[in-house]
Amino acid sequence: MASEDLSKPLKTWSHLVRNKRRPTEYEIVSTNMLWSTGDQKAPWAMGPGTPMTQWYVKYRNQSPLKHADWDGFRDPDQLVYRTYNMIQDGQESFVDALLEDHSRNQHDLGLSPASLELLAHFYTPARYVIHTVQMASAYLVTMAPASTIENCFIFQSADQLRWVSRIAYRTAELKMTHPHAGFDRDERGHWENDAAWQGFRELMEKTLVAWDWAEQFVALNLVAKPAIDEALLRQFANLCRRQGDTLTALLLDAQMTDSARSRRWTTALIEYALKSGDPGNRALIERWLAEWVPLGDAAIEAFCPALGPEGASLSAAAKAEAAKFRAGLGFGQ
Amino acid sequence: MALLDRSAWYNIARSTNWTPKYVPESELFPKDQSDPYGIPTAEWETFDEPYKVSYREYVSVQREKDAGAYSVKAALMRSNYYENADPAYLSLLKMHYGAIALSEYAACQSDARMTRFSKAPSMRNMATFGMLDELRHGQIQLYFPHQLVTLDRQFDWAHEAHHTRNWATLAGRHALDDVMMTRDAMTTSLMLNFAFETGLTNVQMIGLSADAANMGDYTFSNLITSIQSDEARHAQIGTPVIEIMIRNGKKAEAQQAVDVAFWRIWRVFALLTGIPMDYWFPLEKRDRSFKEYMHEFVITQFERQLRDVGLERPWYWEHFLDDIETHHHCQQAGIWSWRNTVWWNPTGGLGPAERDWLEQKYPGWNATHGKYWDVIIDNLRNGRPEKTEAVGMPAICNMCQIPISNKGGTVWKARIYQREYEGRRYNFCTLVCRWVFDTDPVRYKDWDTIVDRMYNGQISPPTAENILRYMGSGVVSKGGRDAHDYAWVKGYDRSPQAAE
Repeated sequence: MASEDLSKPLKTWSHLVRNKRRPTEYEIVSTNMLWSTGDQKAPWAMGPGTPMTQWYVKYRNQSPLKHADWDGFRDPDQLVYRTYNMIQDGQESFVDALLEDHSRNQHDLGLSPASLELLAHFYTPARYVIHTVQMASAYLVTMAPASTIENCFIFQSADQLRWVSRIAYRTAELKMTHPHAGFDRDERGHWENDAAWQGFRELMEKTLVAWDWAEQFVALNLVAKPAIDEALLRQFANLCRRQGDTLTALLLDAQMTDSARSRRWTTALIEYALKSGDPGNRALIERWLAEWVPLGDAAIEAFCPALGPEGASLSAAAKAEAAKFRAGLGFGQ
Repeated sequence: MALLDRSAWYNIARSTNWTPKYVPESELFPKDQSDPYGIPTAEWETFDEPYKVSYREYVSVQREKDAGAYSVKAALMRSNYYENADPAYLSLLKMHYGAIALSEYAACQSDARMTRFSKAPSMRNMATFGMLDELRHGQIQLYFPHQLVTLDRQFDWAHEAHHTRNWATLAGRHALDDVMMTRDAMTTSLMLNFAFETGLTNVQMIGLSADAANMGDYTFSNLITSIQSDEARHAQIGTPVIEIMIRNGKKAEAQQAVDVAFWRIWRVFALLTGIPMDYWFPLEKRDRSFKEYMHEFVITQFERQLRDVGLERPWYWEHFLDDIETHHHCQQAGIWSWRNTVWWNPTGGLGPAERDWLEQKYPGWNATHGKYWDVIIDNLRNGRPEKTEAVGMPAICNMCQIPISNKGGTVWKARIYQREYEGRRYNFCTLVCRWVFDTDPVRYKDWDTIVDRMYNGQISPPTAENILRYMGSGVVSKGGRDAHDYAWVKGYDRSPQAAE
C-alpha cells in the first residue's frame, strides 16, 4: 500500500477497493468494524490479567469453529440500521392494524374457554422464553468475530424485544377482558413450574451459558430458535387458527417473518463456515448438534403434547420441521 | 376500542426475571460479566428508567430521524459544500470521523453486555435500544464520510483509524477499552452511560453542532444533534444503576467507577472537541470558547447530575478545572508540531486576532502557551518552516497515552508523576492519571505506549520513517501538514507589533 500514490483520491474505503466494483451501502457501513480482532492474543488494551481479556481470548479467539476471514461474511439481506427501522416500522404498523381491528371487533370477548386456557398457559408466558433469546443474541453481539456477524445478532436481539413487547401488550389486553383468567399474574409460575415449559427453560438456561461464541450460535440458531419457531410459533398458530383465534395466529405469523430473516443469515453463516472455513468445522458442528438437538427435541416434546389431544402430532411436526431446517444446512439428513 | 397506551403493558414487558433451575444463578450471571458488587437481584428489579420507549415507538421515531439526517445530507451534497470548505474545517471532520465512527460501533457491545448480563430486566430492554442506537451512530458516521474519500484520502481514516497503531487512536482505544469494552455490565453502565454519555457528550453535541452550523455544514450539525437525541435517551440507563448501588452500600464503588471513567474520557475528549473549537474554527464562527461550553454543560450540569444521584464531585475537581485551562492548549501545540503523525491537517490558526481572543478567553495564554507559539511564528516569518516540525519523541503518559505536558512560558508547570510497580517505572501526566493506575495496576501494567515500543523493539529500527509507517502515516494516507500552509502568520506582517 505504501507504494500507492497517496495523493490520488479513493473511490471507496481502501479495504473495499480490491472488490473492483461500486460498494453497496451495506458494505460501506457494515464491514471490518471490529478493532479487537486484529491481535488474537490481546483483544483489548487492558492486560492479560484482566478477566474480560481472558474471556475474549478463550471464548471468541480460541473457538474451535475456525475461519481465516470471518470478516468476509455477508448478510444475504444486506440489512443496515436504517433499512431495519423502515422494514420493522412497516411490520409494526401491520401489527397495530391487526390489534386495532380485532379490538374493534371485540375479538377477545369471543374467545372460547379452551382458547383462553391455551393463551394463558402457552402464549402469554412465552415472553420469558423469547426474552432469553433476546439475552443470548445480545451475548453473541458481544462475542461475534466480525461486524457483519455481530449486526445480524443485533437485529435478532431487537426482534425478540419486539415480541416480548407485543406479548406483554396482549397479556394486558386479555386481562382487561378476562380479569380472572390468570393473565398478568400466572405467567412466571407457568414458566417456572409447568412441565410443558421445562424443556424450553432447560434448553435456554443451558444455551445462555454455552460461552464459546460458535457453540452458543449453534445451540441458539440451529436448535433453540428453530424449536421455538416450530412449536411456539408455527404449530401453536395452526392450533389457534383451528380454534378460531385468528388474532394470535396472525401475530405468530408476523413473528415468524422475523425468524425467517434470521434463518436466511444463519444459513449463510453456516455455509460460509463450511465452504471456506476450517475443514474440521463440519464435524465440530455435528458434534455440537449431537449434544444440543436432544435438548431441543425434548423441549418440543414437553411443550406440544400439553396443547391438547392433537399434541402428539404437533410435536412430531415441529420436530420434523426443525430437523428439516438443519437438514437444509447439510446436517442430520 | 383503540390501541392500548404503552403504560398499560409496559411493566409486563420488563418483568422477565426468573429463577434459574438448570444452571446456578452465579453461572448465568458471572460476576466478571454481570454484577461484581453482589447486590441482590430483587434490588436490581427496582430499576426504573426515567425515559420510556416501546419497540413500536422506537422503530418509527428512528426511521423519521434517519429520513431527516439523510435528506439533509443529500441536499447539501448538491451544493459542493465540502469541495469548497475551509481545510481546517475538513480537518475537524477527518479527526472526528476517524476517532468516532468505529468507537460508537464498539459501544454496541457495551450495551449488548448490559442486555445479556444485567440482572435488571428493565435495563436489559433499555440497553437493547442502546445497542441499536450505537449501531446507528457507527453506520451513519461511516456513510457520511464515505463519499469524502473521493475528495481526499485522509477521509479513509474514518474506517481505518482504529485498525492502525496511530498514537492518537491508541490513546482513544486505551480509554475506550478501559471504560466500555472490558468492564462488567454494571460498571460499564456507570462509566459509559453516566460518566461519558451523561457527563461529557453534551458539549460535543451542542457546542460542536452550533459551530458546525455557523460554518454552514448543516449535514454535520444536524447529524450530531440527531445522534445526541439518542444519547440523551440511553445515557439515562446509568442513573438508576447508581441509585441502586448507593442504596445497597456501594457508593464508594460507584463513585470510583465514575471518577475513573470521567477522567479517562475527558483526557481524549478535550483533544477532539477543545482543539477545533478554540483553534480551528474561524474566529467569527466560534459560538463560545471550549472552556465556556465546559463550564455551562459539564461543570454546572454534571455537578448537578452528580448531586441528584447522590454522588460527589470527583476528588480531582480542582485538577480538572485546571486541565480545562491547559490540556487542549498544550496538545494543540504538540499535535501541530508533530503534525505529520496524524491523519488530518491541523492549522496553527494563530494570527494576532486569534491570540487576542485566546488571551481574553484564557487570561495568561500569551505568557504561557503563547511563548511556544512565539518561537514557531518567528521561525515561520523568517523562512525556517522546517524548524517548526518536531523531532524526537515526547514522554507519553502511561495512562492516557497522550504526550506529557503542561503550561510553559512564565509559569513552568510541566512535570512527570511517576510510579514504580513490579520493577517497571511508569510515567504519568497528572496525579489523576497516576491515581487511575493505582486503582487497578494489573489492568494497566502490561501496556506499551507508542514510545515504549520504540525502545523495546516493536518499532525497529525506530527511525522517523519507520515510526510514521508503524502509525499508518504515509500508509493509509499522507500525514498531516498545516491546513493553511502557514497563511495565518501573514497577519503579523500587517500588525508587526502583535508578533512581539
